[in-house]
Amino acid sequence: MTTELIKGKGPGGRPEPDAGDLVLDASGVTLRFGGVTSLDGVELSMRRGEILAVIGPNGAGKTSLFNSLTGAYVPQEGRITYRPRAGGEHELRGRKPHLVNHLGLARTFQNIRLFGALTALENVKIAAETRLKSDPVSIMLGLPNARRAERASDRRAHEVLDFVGLAAKLNELAGSLSYGDQRRLEIARALATDPQVLLLDEPAAGTNPTEKLELEELIRGINRELGVSVLLIEHDMRLVMSVADRVMVLNFGKKIAEGSPSQVQRDPAVVEAYLGASAEPEEAAEGADGTDGGGVPQARDGEVTDERAAQDGPGKDEA
Amino acid sequence: MSAEALVRGRAAERLRTVRWYQRPRWKRLGAMIALAVLAVMVTGVQGTQRDLFYALEENLTSPLLLVWLALTVGVWAVREFLSPQVKAVSDGYRSVVEEPRGKLRRAWREEKWLRWGALGALVAAAVFLPSGLERYWQTVLVDQIAIYVLVAIGLNVVIGWAGMLDLGFIAFFAIGAYSAAYWTGALPVQPPMELNNFAVIPVAIVTCLLAGVLLGAPTLRLRGDYLAIVTLGFHEIVYLTAKNLDDVTGGTGGVKVERFSLDLGFWSYEWGVIDPMPYYYLLLVFIAVVVFFFWRLEHSKVGRAWTAIREDEVAAASTGVNTVRFKLMAFAIGASTSGVAGVAYASKVGYINSENFVILLSVLVLAYVIFGGMGSIAGVLFGAAFLVWLPEALRDFVDPKDRYMYLGVLLVIMMIYRPQGVIPSRRRARELKLSESGESDADAMTEPAGGRLS
Repeated sequence: MTTELIKGKGPGGRPEPDAGDLVLDASGVTLRFGGVTSLDGVELSMRRGEILAVIGPNGAGKTSLFNSLTGAYVPQEGRITYRPRAGGEHELRGRKPHLVNHLGLARTFQNIRLFGALTALENVKIAAETRLKSDPVSIMLGLPNARRAERASDRRAHEVLDFVGLAAKLNELAGSLSYGDQRRLEIARALATDPQVLLLDEPAAGTNPTEKLELEELIRGINRELGVSVLLIEHDMRLVMSVADRVMVLNFGKKIAEGSPSQVQRDPAVVEAYLGASAEPEEAAEGADGTDGGGVPQARDGEVTDERAAQDGPGKDEA
Repeated sequence: MSAEALVRGRAAERLRTVRWYQRPRWKRLGAMIALAVLAVMVTGVQGTQRDLFYALEENLTSPLLLVWLALTVGVWAVREFLSPQVKAVSDGYRSVVEEPRGKLRRAWREEKWLRWGALGALVAAAVFLPSGLERYWQTVLVDQIAIYVLVAIGLNVVIGWAGMLDLGFIAFFAIGAYSAAYWTGALPVQPPMELNNFAVIPVAIVTCLLAGVLLGAPTLRLRGDYLAIVTLGFHEIVYLTAKNLDDVTGGTGGVKVERFSLDLGFWSYEWGVIDPMPYYYLLLVFIAVVVFFFWRLEHSKVGRAWTAIREDEVAAASTGVNTVRFKLMAFAIGASTSGVAGVAYASKVGYINSENFVILLSVLVLAYVIFGGMGSIAGVLFGAAFLVWLPEALRDFVDPKDRYMYLGVLLVIMMIYRPQGVIPSRRRARELKLSESGESDADAMTEPAGGRLS
């Protein structure tokens, strides 16, 4: 099954996401910091059940977009509408981060932000417990409802850790896990809140090729088995091209292209954004039509990786 | 020209030479001698106004100087010349101790009966030993140690678990004490109905809960230093209100408060004036209950949420933790514990005035918590008990006016060599380790006001 999934680029074993059923619908999102415009009227329409990748050069505003969607930043203008499965509409702009999370959007961070002094299990339990009701008084008195909530969060955390493949590392400190495991744990923590939309901010950054393949499978699993829509920022084009249903491209805070991975790769504006005006569009298109799964010109992939390494600096390598 | 060059060359050579007293080793000796002189001036006789040089002459000719010099120069000599030998001895000692220590630690972690046994022995000691003490020490034990242990446990919730620096914690203690005075009818203003001291406790808890939320709500956006200043201001407001509103609070003149008494109809008991032991047992019960409740809280959803907020507030919020709610909860729970201590204090001492609640006490309670080990209940119990006991014990050995100076020296040394406290909490110790290797923050306090985002 796994090899089949890696080869097949289309959505296998699940219905095609309905173009009319948007789980996230943002329009005109504009975010400024003083004189700097980080997002300039960004449109985002995410279908329920799809994997949508956001790509773009460094500083294009990808992480700003994530922060705006999850309530960490409040954009000055625009609408961000979220439609949960149960029906109804929620405006996300200006909503507090924990309330956005309660609605069903969970995220991970580009520079891993786990609670390093807690164990893997405790990290996930913190997330699971935000969905359970128990007040401090009944905890102090050890009332049955507090005990029940404790057991439920324990069970839920175990399930999620099993799902991401960290069952053997429950009691290790989050800070002492390997880099790839920390990325997994962050995903587990996000999943424990039972999200409908999962926002992954460069989950493959700093991981090795084997971990990348495992991550690819994990993302597919989350999307297919759990039915979670995934919004993915990623610099690794191989991963993006193989896992994403659709891709949107940001540059200088604006959306410059959107479409299927192969469409986007051929888009002259995208090629220009990545390689500069001198690049030949045909060249890029040829590479994409090639037989190998990811189908991205080697130069492009390499360049992006180098940029990222330069930006991240030495800190990432230690971890 | 050649003569000029020669002169210049010599001058340069002279500038380059390092004289013996400029070498680090002898510089350190100089520093140690200076330390000895400073120590003898500080610990020797006091000066007088009539003879400006009296203290200088007396101290520098006293044998005490020789004692201090021997001490400091001895330390210097050992460090400079004998460090390999010292290291060999300490290594030998460590290798001998290592195995039994490791065994003990493992047993402690694995054997439940060992921990329960130790806890039982401690409780038994706490119950039975004090009755053999002198009356003076019994009074110290109740009026100061037991009360401040309770306050420190409350502050530990705010600073140790939720990671919010509170420099005005005694304000809640004062609110608890004045609640007791008000509801027992001791203040110049009369309450709607007079209550028994025990009945005041829940009232004081609620009052302090509200005060905690009142202080917390507007300050939650602040972090670290800013929050500390706000709490400092809150303390001053409470203190100056108690001091200057003497029509209501009695001001510096103070008010007499009734002592604890219980009348159940079939059985009544009065906690008397002279014997402190009945109060001691009462406070022991209070402390035991609070410790038990907080121990449960620490290992629950609430404790974990506090840790998450302390370590990374942005990540906690994105994970769905309602940071505002949990921070307010920490403020409220800490404040109400302090309030209970306030009621107990007023009802034991039988008299309160505004000067019982000066800012120094807030700072001292903070020192107790940090000294014992932030976030660890055992550490805070020990820290508060030891640091309250120390100045009292020093009374017999040094000039009573200088007692807190020695406390200060102890705190400085402690923070340099063991910043995590005497009995650190496991989580806190890990955080400190992670922050040393640059991987994370030791606590939320050091984060910039807006929080860092990726």
